[in-house]
Formats: sequence, structure tokens, C-alpha cells
Amino acid sequence: MKRALNPALALAISLLALVGCGGGADTVENPTTSGPDAAPDYAGPPPATADIQAFRINFWENVRGANRCGVCHAAGDQAPQFARSDDVNAAYQQASGVVDRDNPSQSAIVLKVAGGHNCWLADAGACASIMTRWIQDWVGSSGTGGRRIELAAPPLRDPGSSRRFPSDPLSANFGALYALLDAHCSNCHQSNAATAQSPYFAADDIDEAYIAAIPRINLDEPERSRFYIRLAAESHNCWSDCRSDAEALRLAIEQMADSIPPTQIDPALAVSKAVTLYDGTIASGGARYENHLIALYEFKTGSGGVAYDTSGVDPAADLMLSGDVGWVGGWGLNVRNGKAQASTTASRKLHQLISATGEYSIEAWVAPGAVTQEDARIVSYSGSATARNFTMGQTLYSYDFYARSSATDANGAPQLSTADADRRLQATLQHVVMTFDPVNGRRIYVNGEFTGDLDAQGGGVLGDWDNSFALVLGAEVNNNHQWTGVIRLVAIHDRALTLEQVQQNFAAGVGEKFFLLFGVGHLIDVAQSYIMFEASQYDSHGYLFNNPKFISLDANARPDNIVLKGMRIGLNGAEPSVGQAYRLLDLVLDESYYTPEAGQELSRVGTIIPLEQGPASDEFFLCFDQLGARQNVCSEYAAPAPATYTDLPASSDIGVRTFDEINAAMAAVTGVSPNNAQVKATYESVRQSLPAVHSIEAFVSSHQTSIAQLAIQYCSALVDDTNARASYFPGMNWTSTLPAGSADRDAIVDPLIERVFGDVASQPESSAVRNELDSLITSLCNTAACGGSRTVDVVKAVCGAAVGSAALLVK
Amino acid sequence: MGMRKTAGSVGAQRRVSIETAIEAQAGAYIRRTGVHRVEAGMGSVKNESQPQRAHSQHPTLGSLAVAVVAVAALAAVAPQAHAGPREQAKRMYDRLTGTPPSPTLLDELESRVGGGSQNQLFDTAMYIVDPQQPHSSPFYSVVLKNFATPWTNRDQDVFAPLNDYTATVIGMVRDDVDFRGLLSDDILYVGSGVTPAYSTTSNAHYEALESSNADLRVVLQPTAQSSLNGLPSNAVAGVMTSRAAAEAFFIDGTNRAMFRFTMLNHLCRDLEQVHDTSYPPDRIRQDVTRSPGGDSSVFNNNCVGCHNGMDPLAQAFAYYDFDEMQQRLVYTPGQVQPKYLQNSDNFKPGFVTPDDSWENRWRLGGPNLLLGWSPSLPGRGAGAKTMGQELASSDAFAQCQVEKVFRAVCLRSPSNAADRSLAADVVGGFQTDGNLKRVFAATAAYCAGD
Repeated sequence: MKRALNPALALAISLLALVGCGGGADTVENPTTSGPDAAPDYAGPPPATADIQAFRINFWENVRGANRCGVCHAAGDQAPQFARSDDVNAAYQQASGVVDRDNPSQSAIVLKVAGGHNCWLADAGACASIMTRWIQDWVGSSGTGGRRIELAAPPLRDPGSSRRFPSDPLSANFGALYALLDAHCSNCHQSNAATAQSPYFAADDIDEAYIAAIPRINLDEPERSRFYIRLAAESHNCWSDCRSDAEALRLAIEQMADSIPPTQIDPALAVSKAVTLYDGTIASGGARYENHLIALYEFKTGSGGVAYDTSGVDPAADLMLSGDVGWVGGWGLNVRNGKAQASTTASRKLHQLISATGEYSIEAWVAPGAVTQEDARIVSYSGSATARNFTMGQTLYSYDFYARSSATDANGAPQLSTADADRRLQATLQHVVMTFDPVNGRRIYVNGEFTGDLDAQGGGVLGDWDNSFALVLGAEVNNNHQWTGVIRLVAIHDRALTLEQVQQNFAAGVGEKFFLLFGVGHLIDVAQSYIMFEASQYDSHGYLFNNPKFISLDANARPDNIVLKGMRIGLNGAEPSVGQAYRLLDLVLDESYYTPEAGQELSRVGTIIPLEQGPASDEFFLCFDQLGARQNVCSEYAAPAPATYTDLPASSDIGVRTFDEINAAMAAVTGVSPNNAQVKATYESVRQSLPAVHSIEAFVSSHQTSIAQLAIQYCSALVDDTNARASYFPGMNWTSTLPAGSADRDAIVDPLIERVFGDVASQPESSAVRNELDSLITSLCNTAACGGSRTVDVVKAVCGAAVGSAALLVK
Repeated sequence: MGMRKTAGSVGAQRRVSIETAIEAQAGAYIRRTGVHRVEAGMGSVKNESQPQRAHSQHPTLGSLAVAVVAVAALAAVAPQAHAGPREQAKRMYDRLTGTPPSPTLLDELESRVGGGSQNQLFDTAMYIVDPQQPHSSPFYSVVLKNFATPWTNRDQDVFAPLNDYTATVIGMVRDDVDFRGLLSDDILYVGSGVTPAYSTTSNAHYEALESSNADLRVVLQPTAQSSLNGLPSNAVAGVMTSRAAAEAFFIDGTNRAMFRFTMLNHLCRDLEQVHDTSYPPDRIRQDVTRSPGGDSSVFNNNCVGCHNGMDPLAQAFAYYDFDEMQQRLVYTPGQVQPKYLQNSDNFKPGFVTPDDSWENRWRLGGPNLLLGWSPSLPGRGAGAKTMGQELASSDAFAQCQVEKVFRAVCLRSPSNAADRSLAADVVGGFQTDGNLKRVFAATAAYCAGD
């Protein structure tokens, strides 16, 4: 069952542009097509309609060359003869039968090429992308290319009952199938065949063959296997009669399936039917503005050493990967320590086309690996570290745009950078567009927004551009200025995109998105009811699930007061512990919230579910704590384990006073106010040099130095105040020469012992302190004779020694 | 020099009297006597030098007017097993006020300790911190001030100036205000008779208080915070809406700092301690990238574990900001601050904050249940006040206050069964009356030695 979403209402379903003219679809310009081998000059009837004219310039001229479809699908040759060169109108008729105008990427001709049918590149996916683009350009330009998304009901599979491919062919019982493939398909489907044709499921190496065969095998429904369909329905190179050959393959697949036990899930749970990502309906791909595209890298290949230019504009400036550059799941390149570079010859088209228009745009979806990178190159069209036509780069939180023109030097300098303070660059996936035109010069757009950074150099002409440079991603052509991060799309346009066009491309997003339909009709009494998610592979490690809705494919069905609580996303028969954003959902599915076109929205937020086996194999399902009458808690949080304690090593029972405490303590034992000007000034100067923590282990000599300074200042203030000192040191003769054993010495020491040390057993013994202070007096009076001002100074020193001692410091 | 030597553990060691004479001349300090070192982990100070006369050499004093001589006499530590009432009294006063008692006061405290029962010790400790007694001033002006100051700034700087946050902590303790209202009460303490007066745009009032060494025991006066900063009373959330906290934690950023530092300071847990990736991530804002550097496993293994709990709670601050131009807290009821919606393209399907409603996801289950959420509260609400109540009503809040006091008074963390038992008892008391002064007193009594 398929149901077409109403184009207008479908907008309500998704922020994505599901309908309307496909991006780039209204182009009227003919891309450069110097790539295909020269086809015979056309001498047939002229195109009968505008649509056939669009077909001719956008599609037919690209495919009819002798090195492309024209070699077989020509007049009088294999059907369909869409590449015939004798009559463009007849070719148009033929092509119409293999093209899906509503969904170009799903056209039979595209799927055929994507399946490996005579791709003129090493990567069938790249050929499919290019062919899709040609079709989009054709149907878009006819003005009739409104796209409609049809939600197709996925096969009803119970979660966990699906079989997952074992990691090795032996465990999968692949032998019987391999024997058939090896015997009958190896003339083409192995890499060393004379007419090698991927996929290499008949390779000599069974491991290689197994991996290539997996996508063409459906273990749950063997008759849905591509191997079976290819022969049974498409009569592809059968070795005897197609029906029996196909049946032999089906039996071999069934044999494999029988040996692989399905993963089970608790039958008591309220779970939906299960789907894989590729069971979903493709939700994106045509909404980008690409009228002036001259190079495009979508990184769909996923393996190998070449990133293909799928712009369809020949010559293709394919990028050779070198160094540590890997592929990212969900399409992209992960640049760690390497680069992806096109040849100077192929890159020359940039020079040629951009020189002609005098303006251009560099567009990229990038996720910088860090915000610490400086002067690193993301996309560059350059000849060395100091010579370039243009460069998109990164410096910390800013994007840099070097652009050579009459207003700048041969290095494109001075560069235009986004303002440091704006921190436009973040280590997350961002859409960056840099445009140049002769009037405004350079502009930078990040995530669909003009950054507002103005080009002081202004516009210029590109007459000095060098056509010997090469397009390179991830580093400079000389391998310097390495950038690290993920690049998920790069596009070069030979026009400066407008803000609206930039925003259109930003809204289109990057990567492949699907509408996943999780069947729940078996749980509730609503016909053909589903929970629909927008899903995509987010990166190599996760899937994005977004914007769940309840919807029925039966236009007459309505939910009626159905309780939905606690929805979880299941993966391969289990519930991932992370990413359960819908676990707390608690709502009612009801007609009052539901429209047949848009369904009922369950949540507006998205979540990341970890990737396990990859998008082809990972099987998702939903589990509900309650859906309608079915209730069973999917999973619960583990009960917390009570904390256990371990004794810590014994630590010090004593500590030191901290800064303010020392100040207050000194004020207390001397009786001097901390507001005394000299004391206050000294304290302010040493405050942060005094101990900040109580730990005695953190006490260092510099602390003692500051304590001594403060102590002597307090004592100085005390002794300089004649009234205060008279009160503090009663009976003291301030002109005494302090002879040994004199009462004057006691008059100094006794008050200090009483006030600073105190009569406490935990303090130093009074006699010991007395002896110490007395010997200090002796020492000082021996150095210079005491008496007069010397005596006053000695009292200060003795006071300072006592007040600044550990007896006061330690608590 | 004479010393009492007692073998035994650290606690039983006596402070060893050593001497160090440091003489300054022309800025140079010369160590003149024995070397001593602090032995890490032991906390004891040992004299490694042979007994030596400190002044066997005559110092060369150019001028005693500039001479600074200090003797660092690290006296023997009285063995706690034999600490008498006098030693216990001294230690309690030392620890609670940061200053030594005068000889007269020490005599009085000794008599109050009497036989040294826990009740006598507790009562004496309460007498020490009794705000009616002038001798308690350093407890408020010094110890409590330094106790609270690190909570009021991002660097946890204990040297930061006195501010309204610190003053409010001091005042609440002094006045026996239920400390569990710290994060929600409509209260603020200001100084009386101090110029300049309180201002919503400056901290000068409190800096003047500190600079003049004002007696905080006396000058602090409670005021309705809403009457000072103009916020509606139901938007006031205790110290979280104080000017100092706003300046430190609402400035710039995303307001998550206010939540994180409140957790750190009042639940004694940084986010790493509550990290759990299993909570639903649906309230994590758009500004948190789900694929840092292009790798979503980083998000799913790390980022999510803090943000899934923090973001739903920090939403309570959605209407608050610190205006740097005006230097004051601003509150915009009904209007979410732009900082909650910034960097929205980092993850477009992320949560868009619609209001200041909050939800405590840590109540759902798992290890964070051990934080002890109050069963009498709903675990959700709107605004900072109710969120503050949620935090302050938890067991973790009570435990944290006791733990902090224990460290301040006993100079170590609870480290053995006896310590933990005491802490549990004190936590129980705090959960009954919310009286932090009694927590100080009970802890000081416990660590007075016996």
C-alpha cells in the first residue's frame, strides 16, 4: 500500500522540503559536457517540445556518448533505446519509461546503474548520483517536476525475529550459494574477470564474495533477495532457464537463513514491527539549489581511494585520497592527517568556468575536529602554501576565506575571516558557504546566515587566476596546513549564491534521510497505523531519529483516545541504554490532534541512537510502556546500590590558621586593631601570601615569611604606642639595657607567654619558650648594646618572634 | 630545648618545639637554625636537625628597626587521648573562631567544658558561637566569611571580596534561619550604617564592610531580597539570585554555570559524580553538539551523561541573566533569555526552551536516587525558587553542609566509621531543624579531642 502525501500538507510533516520543485530543478543552463566521448553529430528531427529540449540538453547529450549508454542503448540496439542518436524525440519516449519524474533517484535507470550496471566510473553509486542529477536537471527545467513523497508501507517484520548476518561466511552457511555464484557469475562478478563487473559476489576469495553478497540477500524473505529477483523477474544472464536458476538461488539463500537463528525479544513487551534504515522512504536529495554547480562531492562511495565529483559537469574533478583520510558512515570524509586532491587537469574546469562568470561560491558541510586548529585548509584551490585562487580555512573559532582577485595578492590575502568574538566555527557539523562576486567581494555564510563580516578589499576581477592549481581538501597541496575534521559535502558553484539560495541548501541538509514507519497496527485498533520517524545515519557512530509522528496510511482511519506512554527505540532486539529521548512521552493519540495528511506529532526533538552493525543490517523497533490496552514496562532503571565507604588514611589532626584568621589572631593577642593604618597596609600586601587552606601539608616557607612580616608589624604598632605597650608590658623599663636575668626581660616575655602561648598543655612549655625568647634577647643585645631605642626594637623583635610563631599559627 | 615527647599516632603526637629564626636584612631572610620539614600525609612536623642553640651565632643586624625575627616554635601537639577540658576548650574556640581565646575566656570555657561530656562540649561550642557574646565575632567575621566565600565565584577563590551571597550565609547562620532556605528564601543580608548603601549594580557596600573590619556579628541585617533587587518574591531564590552569584554564574554562557556551581558547592558533587547516560536526552538544548568533531559516540558516551540531568534542571534559570553593562541581575518573566537559544544550529532537533519549567530527571532511578530527593516535593516546577527547594531538600544537601563544616572544623574529611557516624547524626539533626550553627557546634565538640 502506498499513500501519497499531499504536497502542501506534507510540509507540515517535515521541516524538510519534501515537495515542490527539486533544488536545482529549474535550471536552464547547459553544464559543460566535454567529458563524454564525442557522440555522432545530431542530424535528426528537432525536439518536439520544451520538455524534450530539456531532456536533450540535460540528459540525452550526457548519456548518448560512445563511452556511456550510447554504446548499447542506441538505435537498433538494446532496449530501452534512450540513448539513440538518430531521433531525440524517440529517445525521449524510451527514456520516459525508465525515469521517475517525481523521484529521480528512484528511477529504474538510476537503480540499474546503482546496481553496478555498466557504470563508467569505478563506483556505481557515483554514476547513480550523476545520472540522478541529469534527470533532476531535465525534469526540473520542464517546469513539471513537482516532487511527491510516497510513504510506502514497509514489510511487517517482528523485531528480533530478523536474522543477522554472522561475521564470516562459514557461520552463515554461505557455501552453497557461493558455489552457484562462483560457477555461474564469475565471468563478470569478480574483480579479475575480463569484463569485471561489480559487485564482486563471485570473487575467488569467499570472504570478499560474502561481503559483496550480503546486500543482495534477504534472510527473512529469500524471495525478496536481489539475487532471486534479478533472475526470476529480470532474466539477467540465467545459465539454464531463469525460473529454475532463480529457484536454485532462493533455496541456497533459504539454506543460509535456516542456519541462522533469529534474535528473540520478550513476547510480553508491547513492541512495534521492525524496520531497517533502508526500509524507509527516502526523504531528501532534491531540495538543494544547484543551478550553477560545477563540482560536487557527496562522498557516497564509502570506500576506496577516490572521492567522485558527481556534479555531472565534465571533466569530473575526482579527488584522490592520500594519507590518513577515511570514510564516514552516512557519507563523508574523515580527514585526520592527509588530503583529498584532484588533478590539475581536472581542476582546470574551475578556472575555466569561474573565470567566465567572475564569481563563485564554495559550499561545504564540515565538522571541524577541534577549535584549536590554526591556519588550516578545508577546501583549497591552490598551487602552494603561498599561491592560490581560493581557500576555505580555519583559524580557531573562525572561518578564513582567501580569494585571489585584482583586490588581493597571489595568495588571496588579506583573508576575510569571521569575527573572533562571534565564534562562528564550532566543532560540530556546520554548513559554510563562501561567495565571491566582483561587486561585494567575499561573503561568508555559516548555517544559512550571513556572518556580517565585510570584505575590506571589496570585489575585483579574476584575471590573475592560475589554471595550473589543484583543488584539494583537508590540507594544502604541499601537505602543510593540515586540517582535521569531517567533510560531508563540498560543492563549487560558478555563481555567488544569494542568501536565499544558501538558506535553501542549508535547509536541505546533508546525507540521506528516510521516513521510517514502525507498524503498530497489531497493538491498537487503527488500520495501517504507524509511528513515523525521520531517520538518517548521523555519522559513523550513530543514527539520528527525529520528529516522531503517529500516522495511518488509511486515509479514513482515526485514532481514538489511545494512551501512549514511555516509547523506546529498540535496536537489534535490545533497547539501547542511551538516547531514549521518548522514554517519558505520556500522551493520547486522538482524532482531535490528528490529521490524515500530517498525522499526530509525538515530539519535536531528535535523538542519537548508537550504530551497531551499520545501516544495512541494524534493525530498529519501538517498545512502549503502554500503547492502547497493551501495557508492559520495557525496561526500568536499576536500583541504586548503596554507597560503600572505605576508611581514609589517617590525616593530620592539626592545621594552620588561614590568612584572615592569622590577622584576627594577631590582632587578638597583641590588642592592636586590624584597622591600624600600618597593619592594614601590611596585611593587604601579604594577605594572598598567607596560607589559604588549613592543611599543614600545604604550608610552605613563603607563608612563614609573610607571617613574620605581619607579626612584626603588629608588634611594631603595639610597641610604638606608649599607652598600649605600657598596658601590655606592665613594669617594663623601656630604657633598660636588658641584662641577663633582669626583671625587664621577664616583663617582655611573661605577657607574651600568657597571651600568645597560654597556659594550655597543647601549647609549648612555658619554660622552653621562655628560654628561647630569652636567648633571643641575649643574642640581639650582644650584637648591639641594648638600651634606648635599641631596647624598643628588641622588644618588637621578641614580640614578633612569639606572635609569628607556630604557637599562634597552628590550631 | 625542652619538649614533651609522646610516641604514638599523629593524633597522639605532641607538637615538637623547634625553632627557626629568620632574620631579615635588606630583604633577605636567613634561616639560622635547624631544618624542619612537613611530612606529607602525616601532618606532623619533625625536627631533622640536631638540637642546636638557636643563636650560637650572632646575627648581623644592620638595624633592628628593619629587623624581622620570627621564631616558629612548633610546639608539641597535645595527645588527644589526654586532652583535658582546657585543651578541648582551646581547640574548639580555635577551630570555631580562627583565633585563640584570651586567658580569661579560656578559663571560662574550661569551666563550661567541665567533665568533657559531649553535651558539655556541645553547649560550650554553642556558647562560643553565640551571637550575643562578643567573643563570637570572629566566627562570623572570619570563619564563616571564609567558609562561604569560595562558593561565590567560579575560581572558588577564598580571597574574593565579601559580597551579598557571603553576608547572607553568615546572617542566616547567625539568626538560626533554616539553612535549607539558602537556595529559595526571599532574604538578603545588608550592613547597617555602612556607606555606600546596598546597590544592585555594585558590590561596594560589602567591600566597605570588609575593608573596615566591621563586626559582621553585629552589623548584618536581614532584608527581603525582593525589596532590594526588585524581583518578584517568587522569582527570588536565596543566594542564587544574589548579585554576587549572578555576577559569577549568570554572566555570559548559558546559565548552566549557576547550576553546576550550586551542585558543587551545596550538594558537594560536580557533574562527573552524577554522570549517567541512561536518562532521556530530550531536554538537552540545541547548543550541545551531538557529534563533537563529527563523532556522535563522544556525545553518547560523555556529553549526554551530564546534560540529560543538568539541562532540565538548569531550565529553571531561563529568565535570568547578568547584565554586564548595568552590572546587575536581570529577570525577564515569561521571556526566555537568548542565551538559552544560542548556537541553535549545533543540533536543530535539540530542545528549544519555551519557559522556565524544570524537571529533576535524577529522580527517575539509578545511582542518582542516592542523592535522597524529598518525597514530599513533586520533582518538577517552574523557576529557580522551587528548583532551589528541590536541591536544598535533598539528603545530599544536608550531607554536603555537614561535610563542609566537618572539613572546616576538624580540618579533614570524615575518614572512618566514627567520623561517618557522627556525620550521620549531625545530618539527622540538620534535616530536622536546618540549623547550621548547631552543625558547627556539634562538629567542634566531636573534634575537640578527648
